[in-house]
Amino acid sequence: MSPLSKALTPAQKARKAKRITSNILVWILALFVVFLTVFPYFWMVLTSFKDRLEAMAIEFRVFPEVFHFDSYYALGDQDPSFARAMLNTVIIEIAVIPIGTFVTALAAFAFAKMRLPHKTFWLLFLMSGMMVPYAALMLPQYRVFSQIGWVGTPLPLIIPGLFGNISMMFFFIQYMKSIPSALIEAGRVDGASWMRIFVQIMLPSIFPAIAAQVVFWFLGIWNDYFAPSIYLSGSSWVTLQALLALINDNMQRMPDYPLVMAGSVISSIPIIIIYIVCQKYFVQSLAASGMKE
Amino acid sequence: MNAIAKKTKKHDIHKSERRTAQLFIALPVIGFCVFTLLTLIAVFAFSLMDYNVYREEFAWLGFKNFSDLFTNSIYSTAFFRAIGNTMFLLLGIPVGMIVGLALAALLQSRAIKKCNKFFQVLFYLPAVTSAVAINLVFRYIFNPEYGLINNLFNTHIAWFKDPWLLKIAVIIKNTWAGMGGNMILCLAAMLAIPSSYYEAADIDGASSSRKFFTITLPLITPTLFYMLITGIIGGLQSYADAQVFAAGENGAQTIVYFIWVYGIKQGKQGLASAASLVLAIFIMIVTLVQFKLSNKWVYED
Repeated sequence: MSPLSKALTPAQKARKAKRITSNILVWILALFVVFLTVFPYFWMVLTSFKDRLEAMAIEFRVFPEVFHFDSYYALGDQDPSFARAMLNTVIIEIAVIPIGTFVTALAAFAFAKMRLPHKTFWLLFLMSGMMVPYAALMLPQYRVFSQIGWVGTPLPLIIPGLFGNISMMFFFIQYMKSIPSALIEAGRVDGASWMRIFVQIMLPSIFPAIAAQVVFWFLGIWNDYFAPSIYLSGSSWVTLQALLALINDNMQRMPDYPLVMAGSVISSIPIIIIYIVCQKYFVQSLAASGMKE
Repeated sequence: MNAIAKKTKKHDIHKSERRTAQLFIALPVIGFCVFTLLTLIAVFAFSLMDYNVYREEFAWLGFKNFSDLFTNSIYSTAFFRAIGNTMFLLLGIPVGMIVGLALAALLQSRAIKKCNKFFQVLFYLPAVTSAVAINLVFRYIFNPEYGLINNLFNTHIAWFKDPWLLKIAVIIKNTWAGMGGNMILCLAAMLAIPSSYYEAADIDGASSSRKFFTITLPLITPTLFYMLITGIIGGLQSYADAQVFAAGENGAQTIVYFIWVYGIKQGKQGLASAASLVLAIFIMIVTLVQFKLSNKWVYED
């Protein structure tokens, strides 16, 4: 090796040096971007350990003088407590996602693999709903839900989700079309009902798609803010994000940044863990959403 | 006889299959009818009425809510301001796309190929955090008195007082929040380009920047277009920026924030419904334009 590299002509040497400097530049740039993406988290965590006044100090200090855990304890003293808000969020997730996903996949199965009269019409019919913004539907829904006494309960956030998720349905239809119909025919020949074919053949075959979409839906509900803030602010059913925003609203006169940062840290940790564990699903389904359109 | 029996049996099987299929799609269809279709009709009815929340009284107004929205200065000032703010904030979309594209190109570079996954995971990290947490941490970073930016550079920029600075701060924050998602979409589109194109360019001795502008960029335009449209649709519905980050400051009030203030906080449901219909129509137009243009693009390919 070394005799060869010694035999490099000056021109080759120059090219090699140029490549090395450009590699170094790329590394510096990439690490700088990493710094930019990680820094707000870093700042969130550090602030959460600061004293309330220390967080408002004029002079610049990165690390807290003493690491205080007070803000984390204070999260428990909120009304309702942060733990309760997290439980509320988890309850909504569990109430919506299993049934909602099943309903969605079942409808996708009918569209992808079954004889269905006026299939294109129904597909376009459901698809048209995707271009109606939630903000346009919010007011009548709010009125009806408040008249039947659902405001302040998680029902307005649960019941609509049980009827399925249309964008998820399109993802499933695409995926199911790639599953060979021979599998289904075989089930039919054996006399299995459509429901049985769906549960025993289709659901297991589309597992990767389900996993990807469930992770996304989980994230969506966890991070949702608009509807929970309208329906649950001030009730004991408040979700994590709505409570966090509420704490922020209440502290406009007397800022307590360590408290809201501690809340942000606690609400972000589960999501970051899920993201790291399910990383490949994120990339897959995101990439698919961009490519299939 | 036998043949006819077989035929009817087959007919029956298909009939029961069709019935079952109809049953399988019933719930989403009912959900759509109740939560979207009926609700949309109700919004339209609301927009033609004056509904007093406290007295539970309806009054027929015709299109007065719409004309109030655009001509009665009590409301139109706020409404036009909300439209203007929302439009200005849309400028963040091309910025986000350029950043996403740059990051995707960076990830493709040979120097960091080995640690590609590591960088990809970290670059995407901002996208998983909740809008509320992002808004809160950036609200703190931009704080005029003791925020990080002013502390670090020893400046006293009043980010929240000046309406333009406020909007720029929102765009900076959104660029940070969106860069992961934009990067993944660009990356997926880039990876879908057949490597033979690049090999051919290599034979011709094309530089990497030339390859980027003559091969990569033209071939990922459908994805960029998709990003632009979904970005506009999402941006038109932005709410947390105004509510949490700007805490309701005039300079960042958006259309949805306007709808929330009038419809839920102040109980002027008729007026807010009219505003939400205007927004819905706008979004539908954007979606239909996307539909038409993306079809065209797929065929031209």
